[in-house]
Amino acid sequence: MKYILLMTGTKAGVDTYRAWSKQDIQAHYAVLKGVNKELTEAGEFVATEGLGLPEQARMVRAGKDGAPITDGVFPEAKEFLLGYWIVDVESPERAYEIAARISGARGPGGVPTNMPIEVRQIMSVKPDEL
Amino acid sequence: MKYILMMNCPKTGYETFYAWPKKGIQAHMAFMRSFNKQLRESGEWVSGEGLASPHEAKLVRAGENGLPITDGVFPEAKEYLAGYWIVEVESPERADALAAQVSAAPGPGGAPFNMPIEVRQVMSGPPKEL
Repeated sequence: MKYILLMTGTKAGVDTYRAWSKQDIQAHYAVLKGVNKELTEAGEFVATEGLGLPEQARMVRAGKDGAPITDGVFPEAKEFLLGYWIVDVESPERAYEIAARISGARGPGGVPTNMPIEVRQIMSVKPDEL
Repeated sequence: MKYILMMNCPKTGYETFYAWPKKGIQAHMAFMRSFNKQLRESGEWVSGEGLASPHEAKLVRAGENGLPITDGVFPEAKEYLAGYWIVEVESPERADALAAQVSAAPGPGGAPFNMPIEVRQVMSGPPKEL
């Protein structure tokens, strides 16, 4: 079963993260790198990506002529995707365990951030089969 | 440059979609298949996934002992990721043009749906200082 673990945050939350000390950021990344290594060794790793900063985000719609209409204004409370992991696991519980590992990554002063991680199943039915 | 094109929806987004006339759903899916094919042929395709219904979404945090605390309650206005494409393109404008193309996928009656697509750059790695 493939699951996606989504790490999200508001613009304000990302600003807080950017104010962390270099040491804290490095310690945080070290935990995440450790999780990636563990997943790879367990054969559970599928993919991971980190996204660019929320202030560069834009919303695009097709105009009448099909040309893009872009907009960079989002509600203040908008949760931006910061990064994700896709894992291939035996059960939803295992996906939750991995999410908890990421959630427990150390924040400022070495205290776990306990940030919420959204866990969603990847559809096993491909659109081609509909 | 790698960009992610994200399709978001409200909690009831999937029911709304599956309540479309069957022909509308088929036309929408046919459009998506041909869009995917186009990306593969142009060499711009990196990856893409469709997510399962938001009703199965879970929010996971690490508890004090590092074990997962699972919660299925989200704010009512929450946007859920329904699916995404990662594309490798020459410019941000090209990413916007592709997003506009997806945005114009046919809606329930066959007219362009003009759904909003969130466009974000994908980082090629952690920040340099790390």
